[in-house]
Amino acid sequence: MYAYDTYDHAMVNARVAEFRDQVDRRMKGELTEEEFRPLRLMNGLYLQLHAYMLRVAIPYGTLSANQMRKLAHIARKYDKGYGHFTTRQNIQYNWPKLSETPNILQELADVEMHAIQTSGNCIRNVTTDQFAGAAADEVADPRPYAELIRQWSTFHPEFSFLPRKFKIAITGAAEDRAAVKWHDIGLVLKHNDAGEVGFEVLAGGGMGRTPVIAKSMRDFLPISDMLSYLEAMLRVYNEQGRRDNKYKARIKILVDAMGIEEYTRQVNAEWEKIRHVPIDVPDEEVARIKAFFAPPPLAVSADDVAEVTELANANFIFKAWLSNNTGAHKVPGHAHVTISLKPHGGIPGDASDEQMDLVADLADAYSQSEIRVSHEQNLILPHVAKKDLPALWAKLDAAGLGTPNAGLLTDIIACPGLDYCSLANTRSIPIAQTITERFDDLKRLMDIGPLKIKISGCINSCGHHHAGHIGILGVDRRGDENYQLLLGGSGAEDASKAAILGPGFDEHGIVDAVEKVVAVYLGEREDDETFLNAYRRLGPDVFKEAVYGTD
Amino acid sequence: MVLINLTGIQPTGYTLLADDALPKEGENVAVSVERLLGENSAFFNTAGSVGAIVATGTAFNDLDTIADKLAFAVIEFPAFGDGRGFSLAVRLRKDFGFKGEIRATGPVIPDQALFLLRAGFDTVEVAAERQQAFEAALSRFPGFYQSDFGGQTSIAHTRHTIEGHRKAS
Repeated sequence: MYAYDTYDHAMVNARVAEFRDQVDRRMKGELTEEEFRPLRLMNGLYLQLHAYMLRVAIPYGTLSANQMRKLAHIARKYDKGYGHFTTRQNIQYNWPKLSETPNILQELADVEMHAIQTSGNCIRNVTTDQFAGAAADEVADPRPYAELIRQWSTFHPEFSFLPRKFKIAITGAAEDRAAVKWHDIGLVLKHNDAGEVGFEVLAGGGMGRTPVIAKSMRDFLPISDMLSYLEAMLRVYNEQGRRDNKYKARIKILVDAMGIEEYTRQVNAEWEKIRHVPIDVPDEEVARIKAFFAPPPLAVSADDVAEVTELANANFIFKAWLSNNTGAHKVPGHAHVTISLKPHGGIPGDASDEQMDLVADLADAYSQSEIRVSHEQNLILPHVAKKDLPALWAKLDAAGLGTPNAGLLTDIIACPGLDYCSLANTRSIPIAQTITERFDDLKRLMDIGPLKIKISGCINSCGHHHAGHIGILGVDRRGDENYQLLLGGSGAEDASKAAILGPGFDEHGIVDAVEKVVAVYLGEREDDETFLNAYRRLGPDVFKEAVYGTD
Repeated sequence: MVLINLTGIQPTGYTLLADDALPKEGENVAVSVERLLGENSAFFNTAGSVGAIVATGTAFNDLDTIADKLAFAVIEFPAFGDGRGFSLAVRLRKDFGFKGEIRATGPVIPDQALFLLRAGFDTVEVAAERQQAFEAALSRFPGFYQSDFGGQTSIAHTRHTIEGHRKAS
């Protein structure tokens, strides 16, 4: 993991001092709320329906056990004993007091964390594959490049007041677990014909009210050119992105309006002018950052472990957890483990202070003190020896963290919705809770197989409904909460936009409709066809008939 | 209004020239980019020094033909969040090698002081009651991750100098 040096510490400490002064001026009445708003938004502090909400950055979803303990401590001391892990690999606290937020930021700074650029029209937390550095299918570890981008984009003199927020995602594996095609910029690590590592560069993706899948603009960009190329991309966007209408201000609208060819031409022209200016860091700096992400010292061992097989044969729930929540590691004899934050009937992404403390302890005991947050709102122990899986599972299960549903229908992404958010039209959390209760049958879930449900409580799409195999969008219909059903989306390498199936439902009707859609799939699927593949083959009509009748 | 001097440059005193007015001999004047694009050399020869009033919506290409005739530029922020002003300053310094004063006007906020300096601005016009907050903001951060037009080298580069290496460890 990256560790701060004196420069990084000085930076976050200066930020805390600045914010303390701003809060102080606000509390004394020297700043009005109107004047304070842009300042607090630069520190991830939102004013929500019932209280302030503080969004803390977890850069590219990577945490140490000690950092997780600090998050637990903050939940306990300054909040109501829980935190909410988000689709941007961050954590949100829903009940901080304004007067205490500077102390929270200081506590975070003490463990090399911050809330810088977690809101506002700037470059936000760079996101990546939650299995980075662990997954067997990885071309290269994306985290050193994510850290380089984090530093380059922090307090950027030119790109801190963009037309709109800006999200960059990187993946280092062919299987895209970071939804890079749904980001303003997507970077895909790859080898060129000469065997060098670089990026495919995509631009102009995004969700919101105008969902757009990013387009490829450069097949191969050498790593040494990454920052200068990003600088050219951001400059063209900063200058020409629309500022007259916030709903048309994202780069996806600019790229669509000028065409990806013209955008690429302008970016390339600008890049030719700046690529030799020292924007890109010296080689020694890249090497310094890379060294922090050297593979951990894991001893190669056999993939077949007798006690794991025995327990799996004896215990169906452990067997299901093994199959759904663990995955192939680079180092034989190891696995990465997904800790589901989606207990059936629970709130997707929420974790209590005790649970966070436990995960920290388990990371120390079993996973090189490392933890990840996934954009699907789960936690990951990236480096677990297979022989430790039975003991780890028993401890997780006892704490309500053993739900064996990773990747299954009940592993639902949901935004906070009207329970918290001032932008929401409808609640999201109760829909997720009702669906997971309706499908609370592990054998049935395993039979249904991989199925991603994503729920947003308004068109801003924080719940990624456009990318759901089944997407649910809450809308306000003359004062009533109404839920639209969308099918066929994907956030993976085969990204696609989900399409609305038909008229919306009330909160009970939407759950029935999901059940009918699943029934159609089970009846129509061929062999081991997944839900998404079956939908793509069948088209919407057969689902429409089942959900809305034939009249 | 007071003028905050970010870089220690000698600020230009000037007259904002009315739309149809002509500069007096030797007078320092500021004129919109649109008008300057239509002015001939007589205009520039008459005036003492000529500055451009640059709206943030100005395309940087439009500065191409006039940049080398300008003594100073005034970039007008219509709102503090209109970040095009930062790119315009960067373009002036970077693309046109502009060495003259770049001034920011409009509702910029004290917390942008260092952003302005680092993007290439020399001066900023602010309401008098904000002067103190602006000046306080200027000394807030010891360093940044980007090399900038205020003359600071990026942390990424200074880390690997002998002095920087000693400081980091």
